[in-house]
Amino acid sequence: MKKIYVLMLAGLLFGGCNDFADDINVNPNKPSVASGTQLIANAEFYLPGLNSAPQGEFFSQHLAETLYPGASLYNTVNFNYYGLYSGPLMNLETVLNTDDLDAKEGPVNNQLAVAKILKAYFFWNITDRWGDVPYSEALKGDDNFTPKYDTQEAIYNNLFQLLEEANSMVVPGKISNDIVYGGDAGKWQKLANTLRLLMALRLSEVDATKAQAEFNKALEAGTMTSNGDNFVYKHLPEEVNENYWYSQVGRQKRLWWALSENLVDHMKPVEDPRLPVFGNKNEEGYYVGLEYGKAEASNESKYSLLGTAIWKQDAPVYLVTYAQVLFAKAEAAKRGWIPGGDVAAADFYKEAISLSVLQWTGTTTGVSELLTQPGVAFEPAKAIEQIATQRWIHLFMNGYEAWAEWRRTGYPDLSAASGGKQVPTRQGYPTEEQFNNTANYNEAVQRQFGGTDGLYGQLWWDK
Amino acid sequence: MRKLYLSTLLLLLVCWCGTAFAQQTSVSGTVTGADNGIPLPGVSVIVKGTATGVTTAADGTFQVNVPAPESVLMFRFLGYEVQEVKVGNQRVFNVRLNLDNKQLQEVVVTALGIQREERSLGYATQEVKGEDLTLTKEQNVLGSLAGKVAGVQVTGASGASMGGTQKIKIRGVNSLTGSGEPLIVVDGTPISNANFAGRSGADYGNLAQDINSEDVESVNVLKGPAASALYGIRGQYGVIMITTKKGKRGAKKVDVQLNSAFSVEKASNFMPLQNHYGGGSTQTFRTLANGQPYVDGTDESWGPKMDGTPVRMIHSFYPQDPEYEKLTPFVPQPDNIKDYYETGHSLNNGISIAGGNENTAIRFSYNNTSIEGIEPNSWLKRNNLGLSASLDLSKKLTVSTNVNYATNNARRPSQGYYEGATNMVQWFQRSLSMDRLRDYKYPDGTYYQWNINRPNAQGVLSSFEPGDWNNPYFEAYENSNLDSRDRFFGDVGLTWEVLPSLKLSSFVRSDMFTQNLEHKEAAGGRYDDGYSVGKYQNKEMNYEFLGQYTKEWGDFSLNASLGANLYSRRYTYVSQATVGGLSSPGFYSIEASRERPTTSSYLQRKEIRSGYALMSLGYKDTYYIDASLRNDNSSTLPADNNSYWYPSVSGSLVFSELLQWQPLSYGKMRLSYAKAGSDLSPYGILPTYEVGGIYDGVNTLYVPDVLNNSDIKPSFSNAYEAGLDLRFFNNRFGVDFTYYQQRNKNQIINLRVPGTSGYTSARINAGLIENKGVELTLTGTPVQSENFTWDATFNLNRNRSMVKELYSDIDVYPLDNNTYSGVTIYLNSEVGEPFGSLVGNAYKRDPETGKKLIGKDNMPVFETNHNFGSVLPDLTGGLQNNFKIGKFNLGAMVDYQLGGQFFSWSRMLAVKSGQHAETAAMNDKGKNVRDPLSEGGGVKVEGIYAPGTIIDDVDVSGQPVTAYVDAKSYFRNNIGKNIYEEWLYDASYIKLREVRLGYTFEKSTLAWLPFNSVNLSLISRNPATIWQKAPKGLDPSELSTGSSSISWLETGQLITTRSYGVNLNITF
Repeated sequence: MKKIYVLMLAGLLFGGCNDFADDINVNPNKPSVASGTQLIANAEFYLPGLNSAPQGEFFSQHLAETLYPGASLYNTVNFNYYGLYSGPLMNLETVLNTDDLDAKEGPVNNQLAVAKILKAYFFWNITDRWGDVPYSEALKGDDNFTPKYDTQEAIYNNLFQLLEEANSMVVPGKISNDIVYGGDAGKWQKLANTLRLLMALRLSEVDATKAQAEFNKALEAGTMTSNGDNFVYKHLPEEVNENYWYSQVGRQKRLWWALSENLVDHMKPVEDPRLPVFGNKNEEGYYVGLEYGKAEASNESKYSLLGTAIWKQDAPVYLVTYAQVLFAKAEAAKRGWIPGGDVAAADFYKEAISLSVLQWTGTTTGVSELLTQPGVAFEPAKAIEQIATQRWIHLFMNGYEAWAEWRRTGYPDLSAASGGKQVPTRQGYPTEEQFNNTANYNEAVQRQFGGTDGLYGQLWWDK
Repeated sequence: MRKLYLSTLLLLLVCWCGTAFAQQTSVSGTVTGADNGIPLPGVSVIVKGTATGVTTAADGTFQVNVPAPESVLMFRFLGYEVQEVKVGNQRVFNVRLNLDNKQLQEVVVTALGIQREERSLGYATQEVKGEDLTLTKEQNVLGSLAGKVAGVQVTGASGASMGGTQKIKIRGVNSLTGSGEPLIVVDGTPISNANFAGRSGADYGNLAQDINSEDVESVNVLKGPAASALYGIRGQYGVIMITTKKGKRGAKKVDVQLNSAFSVEKASNFMPLQNHYGGGSTQTFRTLANGQPYVDGTDESWGPKMDGTPVRMIHSFYPQDPEYEKLTPFVPQPDNIKDYYETGHSLNNGISIAGGNENTAIRFSYNNTSIEGIEPNSWLKRNNLGLSASLDLSKKLTVSTNVNYATNNARRPSQGYYEGATNMVQWFQRSLSMDRLRDYKYPDGTYYQWNINRPNAQGVLSSFEPGDWNNPYFEAYENSNLDSRDRFFGDVGLTWEVLPSLKLSSFVRSDMFTQNLEHKEAAGGRYDDGYSVGKYQNKEMNYEFLGQYTKEWGDFSLNASLGANLYSRRYTYVSQATVGGLSSPGFYSIEASRERPTTSSYLQRKEIRSGYALMSLGYKDTYYIDASLRNDNSSTLPADNNSYWYPSVSGSLVFSELLQWQPLSYGKMRLSYAKAGSDLSPYGILPTYEVGGIYDGVNTLYVPDVLNNSDIKPSFSNAYEAGLDLRFFNNRFGVDFTYYQQRNKNQIINLRVPGTSGYTSARINAGLIENKGVELTLTGTPVQSENFTWDATFNLNRNRSMVKELYSDIDVYPLDNNTYSGVTIYLNSEVGEPFGSLVGNAYKRDPETGKKLIGKDNMPVFETNHNFGSVLPDLTGGLQNNFKIGKFNLGAMVDYQLGGQFFSWSRMLAVKSGQHAETAAMNDKGKNVRDPLSEGGGVKVEGIYAPGTIIDDVDVSGQPVTAYVDAKSYFRNNIGKNIYEEWLYDASYIKLREVRLGYTFEKSTLAWLPFNSVNLSLISRNPATIWQKAPKGLDPSELSTGSSSISWLETGQLITTRSYGVNLNITF
């Protein structure tokens, strides 16, 4: 008897006790395989976040703060982009690295093309805000936890290529689960080429030759041709898919944002039909802008607060629009990149304003009057300024893009915040990079800004 | 394999049951000291040559089974000579032990419940008696350990949480994540100490609170890996072994004890706030069209002076209000926050019945706790039921069981930013009257909310719903966090004494609970109305076998054990919440969800299979050597790497036996080495995707932020420990000193990596964290006389946790962080630095002079990522005093912490919102800092201009500045936003935690009553903070924030409570 015990104990102790049920480590609570288009759809959720943040509107000075001036005073230096990498970009990278995408969800080529276009769009936003950022070594998981920073020039070159590839690989057929374009491959192609067009324009000051070449290639490939091609993120009238501003103004009843004085002064005298959409009348029934960058609190009842249509629960977010293409073409014509000179520039300019009004108000009522107003009416001598200013108005609530165009063109005139802080020219890197990715971070900061990671370094294209 | 286990265990059980029952005899008696005749508790009574042993009870009585008349009983007690008595036919033994300075032996309960002579242990353990735990009726048994054990640090929660989180760490931080709490074992059954609380919201507390502290006989803390080696990976961070009270064998006797305690609780430690300026964001009143000045719902106190000006207060805009359209004086409400808190009550009633006869021992207990908290409408009800019984089926076979059942129901207050009442110190108006807020509901059902948008020029409100903050009474009475839990834990076991020297036992142990959490959000507040409910169920089973062999040959003694354990856990939950509001107000049901409710279901399984052996050899009761080996197989590790071994060796030398030096009653040296290991939580190996949101019928998935790793290996730590245990003058004074060192290598952590890699963290084996420390316990009886005795225990622990290595090119591991208004403060571990450094914005200073750098706007300039040093304390410990003065007994417990630091969010916001006293203090010109600069007001700023500062085209870099700046800009937008250095505080404190003054009525004085004895005590919990370095209004000892592992962040913890009460204990 005793022997049996001993044997059994020995068995217990030293036998192969490490064979557990095969599925014990399979997480039953999460899927282990993913569909490419579901990953893409999730990446699309991040699109409105590229625009819907007060910070962008403060850089572009479309909005000013009423009761609690804070972010508009440019006191925050470092901003985090990690969420864009570990969020949408990693989803897209996973799609691009998957060998066996399911053709039942639409042509595999189109799934890949959409992933590439979205990847380019996110990276374009990131590099225009921060400067050099990790690109070629990024998104490699445990192969490289500390990616180096690529120069903005290299990133631009790479994105041009990526967009070109995307455009040329598209085949007929819809992909499923596309919450932006409903799987319409043609619209994605137009977006890819429009992105190339706008990126090319961004290089006007740093490398006009290349800018012109890329610009024309993009035009040739086919950019947006109507507001119906706009890259718009549509919110839904439900809590989980609602507009960011609805949660702020509608839910939390924050009357914290007024139209800036600068914006109202550009729109009110010319009776711009977009003004009633952009802002509400103040308590006395007038459109009054708030001086940008005041440190002390302002009485919100005296100013035009953010328009009700802008913060509706299902208000759409305009990401890339046909009017931008037209403004770009107007500028290109003026610059002589495309033929037609001032005549073409004027036509594109008018068309751009007209389609902007249509986009924001739903009609073109009042456009013809607007186009004849002094300052708005096209003047060839002031064309670049006029185009830039009208583009700035059009890019309302698309603050980061408006800010980038301000950095490139210098228009319109944006004022310093109280305390003398000028409009930033970039955003500081995430503070975590300083201790997580120290060597690469230091190298990038040294290379671009002589060692200071602040709000005022100049990006490569910002000459 | 699992089947084989079960069948083996079954077979063992069957075999035992099949054995003929040999007859055992139960003997009992009382042990007294020969010197004074006083009964001796804790004397070990051992049947010589066997593993059978008991210890005497508080009244010196014992009961033990002896196998045969030839058996010899050995009585051993610290400081007394060993006495041996042959049993013969005698059944009752009254033994008098003689004092002996040479022989000192104590039986302690070690890992797996194995009883060992204290002198034979080569590692540190420390015991706390049950009566010291229930000194003042602390609700959470772990909280009552604070300061009582050297090397054990308890970070608690305010009494307002009613049994909230008590976080416990043994010997500092041994893991890179800072997590790792000791294993809690009750009568051999490991139980869950999970915590359902997050950083904010209701603090549900750690689940060890289900232990009825009235049932606790003693707590023994196994501090290092050598002591806990037999618990394997689950004992990696030490073990808290709790032994409950049991019935006694012997002559038929029934003990009945009644216990009743009642306390009142008061809020205390309020932050000093200013009473000069009221609600608003500028010092001028806003006015209505008719010219009336008014105060709006701004959540700041940067408003006008509260000088009695008649104004329209927020309530005057409610047409339902009796003061509608009326002007009332704008005056300070200095006590508005104080007035919110009520006097809490707690009532604790318990009964225990214990008894036994020759072959049975049984104890039954019931305890009922009912608390009404200091926050309005907060309460807790708890019932504990306990049963322990053992029955000798035969002389050699005993069946025993322990059953513990607890039910909890509570409605707890919320803590943290944006939650509950704690926001009042953060964002509020000094001019709001609490009396007005208390009537939060008008007769027509409209709620009076203060934080609403301003009225229009005609004085009409557009909405009655608040923006950021609810009326605290709306929060208290309309919203609710309800939690309830049913908990069962216990065991059934068989013990078979095969031979006098061989004992086999087998146990089935179980711990299970169902936790329900429910939240109701009422309509009319700052959120949509809603309802959420979750049911969390956990079941842990342990199947255990243990064989113990004890033998003595001449000068040699042998103690060997062999065991096996099968652990399985199954954890499931289902939780649901409504989205987009409720279909009708007050209909709190998932079905009321306006939009698709969120739901989740979860299942987790884990198994650990273990085998272990222990051998201890003693020579001449002087030299001892121990060795143990354990093998664990964890299901959560990759299949080819899931089995691992760890050994331990320890030795002790009772050198007082060799010295024979009279003043030294006992002297022991000990030395140990152990290896401990750990696995990871389930599902950390294989890659998965996450389920994302749903958009118009499109379901989405995303790549998780944490990168799983199928090459993960178990991690190991190596621990060394040396100790010295000295007792002098017949144990009047004792010194117990331990030095330990532990190297934790290749830990399994979720390393935070740059998000640009595509993941925010990766599960990897990384790092080396080295822990070194000393523990010192001084015990003494400075005074001992017939009418006056003073016993004192002093504990001290110093621990240093250094991060030695991390991971290839990553030198910093961010453990935790907190972002407010775009500014982040990190809790980091950095290679070459002590564990847990706070890193964040600091004043930028001139590197040479250390002076603050000042910018063009005369405001201080800040720098990011300044390392402020470790948050961990340098020293922790406590001092426990017991005085016996005649029949009075006075106990006082002090605990302390020196060093360490924390960041206070509340303090920062109290300043930012213009509420803190310093925002309306006098400057050195005798003017209020809020007065206009032109009139001598403003905050004084001193320093030198920062490099590159140009004023009026002149470079003023380096020039000294003394300037006065606008108070609101300075506090609100400068230091209150960017300079976290201002809001870091040293966490040192000395705290009087417990005081009890009792009087015992003896039977002689109560002859006319059926009582044996009656003790009546005045008790006070947390009566005073003797000293703290942090400013008033913060409590460094109550920083526990739910389940987060390190306490470094104060975000609005519940307010400190002081409790005073009376306790009555009756023994029949």
